[in-house]
Amino acid sequence: MRPLGTRAGAMLALSLAGIPGLASATADPGVATAPRMEFSPPPPGSYTLQNIQRVADAVLLDSAGHAVRLSAVTRGKITLLTFFYTYCFDPLGCPFAHTTLANLRDRVRGDRGLTGRVRFVSVSLDPTHDTPAALASYGQEFAIDPNFEWRFLTARRVPDLLPVLDDFGQDVSVDVDEKGRATRTLHHMLKMFLIDPRGEVREVYSLAFLQPQVMFNDIKTLALEAGAAP
Amino acid sequence: MRIDSRWVSSFTVAAALSIAPIVSHADETCNSPYMSGLIKGQEDFVHVWTLGVPGLGDGSDKLVTIDANPSSKTYGKVIHKISVGGRGEAHHMGFTDDRKYLWAGGLDDSKIYVFDVGTDPSHPKLVKTIDDLPAKTGYVGPHTFYALPGRMLIGNLSNGADKGGVTGMSVYNNKGDFVAKYDMPTSTIKQVRGDGYGYDIAVNPAKNALLTSSFAGWNNYMRDLGEVVKDPEAMKHFGNTMVMWNLKTMEPEQILAVPGAPLEIRWALPEGQNWAITATALTSQLWLVTRDARGVWGAKDVAPIGDPAKIPLPVDISITADAKGLWVNTFMDGTTHYFDLTDPEHPHETYSKHTGSQVNMVSQSWDGRRVYITSSLLSKWDKQGKDNEQFLRAFDWDGKELTPAFEVDFTKERLGRPHHMKFTARPQRMASLADAAAH
Repeated sequence: MRPLGTRAGAMLALSLAGIPGLASATADPGVATAPRMEFSPPPPGSYTLQNIQRVADAVLLDSAGHAVRLSAVTRGKITLLTFFYTYCFDPLGCPFAHTTLANLRDRVRGDRGLTGRVRFVSVSLDPTHDTPAALASYGQEFAIDPNFEWRFLTARRVPDLLPVLDDFGQDVSVDVDEKGRATRTLHHMLKMFLIDPRGEVREVYSLAFLQPQVMFNDIKTLALEAGAAP
Repeated sequence: MRIDSRWVSSFTVAAALSIAPIVSHADETCNSPYMSGLIKGQEDFVHVWTLGVPGLGDGSDKLVTIDANPSSKTYGKVIHKISVGGRGEAHHMGFTDDRKYLWAGGLDDSKIYVFDVGTDPSHPKLVKTIDDLPAKTGYVGPHTFYALPGRMLIGNLSNGADKGGVTGMSVYNNKGDFVAKYDMPTSTIKQVRGDGYGYDIAVNPAKNALLTSSFAGWNNYMRDLGEVVKDPEAMKHFGNTMVMWNLKTMEPEQILAVPGAPLEIRWALPEGQNWAITATALTSQLWLVTRDARGVWGAKDVAPIGDPAKIPLPVDISITADAKGLWVNTFMDGTTHYFDLTDPEHPHETYSKHTGSQVNMVSQSWDGRRVYITSSLLSKWDKQGKDNEQFLRAFDWDGKELTPAFEVDFTKERLGRPHHMKFTARPQRMASLADAAAH
C-alpha cells in the first residue's frame, strides 16, 4: 500500500477503494441500534472483575514519534485500551468507541477520587497510514484536558503491531479488490480492554457491552480495589 | 454467503448500510449474541462434533466437516475430518467471540479441543487441547461453550469427587488459560433451593442476565439409559432448576423450580421481549421464563411436547431469528416438531415429521430455510440394533414441509455418532494485515 500521509488523503483513498466493495457488500442491514441497557448496574465494589490475562510488553510509537513501551501506558493507572484507525467511518465502530470513551472521560473527570488514576490508550490498526502526525491531528479532538492522559499510539511498522494484536486477541483483516490488492477497508471486531494498574486485563467490552455506566462502575471497582488515591 | 457485519468496522459496510445491528435476534442456531460474523445467508460448511465408535474407522472422536452449499460440487459430502486421538464423549461446541476458533468438549474425559476454523473453514485444524478443567475447578463434563468478549464461559455437568450432578461454570480466556470458576447454587434463594446442577448457558446482554439450566452428572449420562430409568435412585439425580445470574457480578439472583431436567435455553432477544424458553427432557414440556412488572423472574410450563406420558424425551430446540417459531427434536420417537411462538405464553405445535429412528440436535439457518438434524444423544443413551441410525440429515423448509436435501450416513462413512453442529462460511476475499502491508 502506498502511504497517503494525511487524513484527507486517506479519506479520498477510501472513497475510491470502497466502491468496488459496495457491489459485493455482504452485510445484513439488520436493525440500527446502539447497545441496550435495561438494568441497574451493580454498584462499584460490590463485585470482583476477573483476571483475564496479563498484557505483554511491546514497543510502539506515540503521536510525537517517540518510542513508548506498552507497559509504560498500561501499568500504574487504570487503563482503557482500544484499537482503531483514524479513517474508520462505521457509526458503530471506532467513532462509537471514541464517543463512548469521551463520555467516560467526562465522568472520570467529574469524580475526584479518580483524578490522575485513569488513562485511555487508543492504538492504531494501520501503522502504514496512521503516522504519528496523523495521530496527533486526530487526537486533538479528544485532548481537551491536558490533565487527563489519553494516548494515541501507532507502530513503526506492521510487524511491530502484530504481536500486540495477537496478545489482545484483536482480529483485523483488510479487504482486497478484484485483483487481490489490499484496499483501505479494515475489518475488526470492536473490543475495549480494561486493564488494572498491575497490567492485568480485568474486563473486555465488545459492542453490546459498551454501556458507559457499567464501564464507569468497573473503573470505580478497580479504583476501590487498589485502595484510596495517594 | 452473507455474513452479518454487526461487529465489522469498515467504510464499505458503513457506507452501504449506514449502521449495523449489535445483538443477534436468535440463534444461528444457538450462538452467543456476542459472537461476530453471524451467517445470515447460505452457510458453506456444517461442522459436526462426532463421537468415536470402537471398530468404526479410527474409533476416535472427530470434527467432521460437510459441504452444505448447494452450488458446490461437493455439496452434501464429507470434505474433511480431523480426529483428536481418543474417545472422550464428544458432545457440544461453541465459537469464540471472533468466530475464528471452535471449542469442543468431551463429557467423559473433560478435555477441550480448540479448532481453528477461521483460517480455512473447509479444513479445520486442531491448535490446542485444554486438559486442566478438573484440576483447576473440580468440575468435569464441559458441556456448553458460550463466548464472552475475550473469553469462554463453560457450563459443566458434573464434578470429579462423586461424579454427581453438582457442578459449576468455568471461564477460560481465549488463549486457553483458566480464569475463574463459579459453583451452581445449592443454597436457598427466595424460597427456592438450588440443586447445584448445570447444563446450558444463555445470556441476554441488555438485561445483564445469565440463565442456566440443569441436567445430570457423569453417573447418569455415562450409564446405559435403560439402567438409569429402571433405577429409582438414579432417577432422583436429574436437575430440577434454572438459575438467573447477574452476569456482571456472577452471583445467582434467583432459582427457578423447573422440574424434569430443563436443557437448552433460547432467549428472545428482540427489543421489548422479556422471555427465554427451554424444554424439559423428562417431563416433555416447554417452559417459559419471563420477568414481571416488578422485575422478578418466574418460570411456567406453557405447552406439552408430544405426549408427555410416553416420555418422548425432547433433547434440542432451535428458535427462529424472529423468535416466533421453535423447532424441537424428541429423541425417543424420532420426531421433529415445529411450534408457533407468536404468543410465547401459549405455544402450539403446527407441524411434525418423523425424521429418524432417533433424532437429537436440530439447527436451522438464520433465514430458517434449512434445518439440520443429527441422531446421537450420548454413547450410552443411543438406541441399539437397527434403530441405532447415525446420520446428519439436511432439510429445506418452506414453512409447510421439511423436504430432504441431503444426508450423510455416519456409520456407512465410518465416522461415528454425530452430535453437535456449527456452521461456517468461506472467508470473504480479504488479506491479513501483514500481507496487506507487505504489498
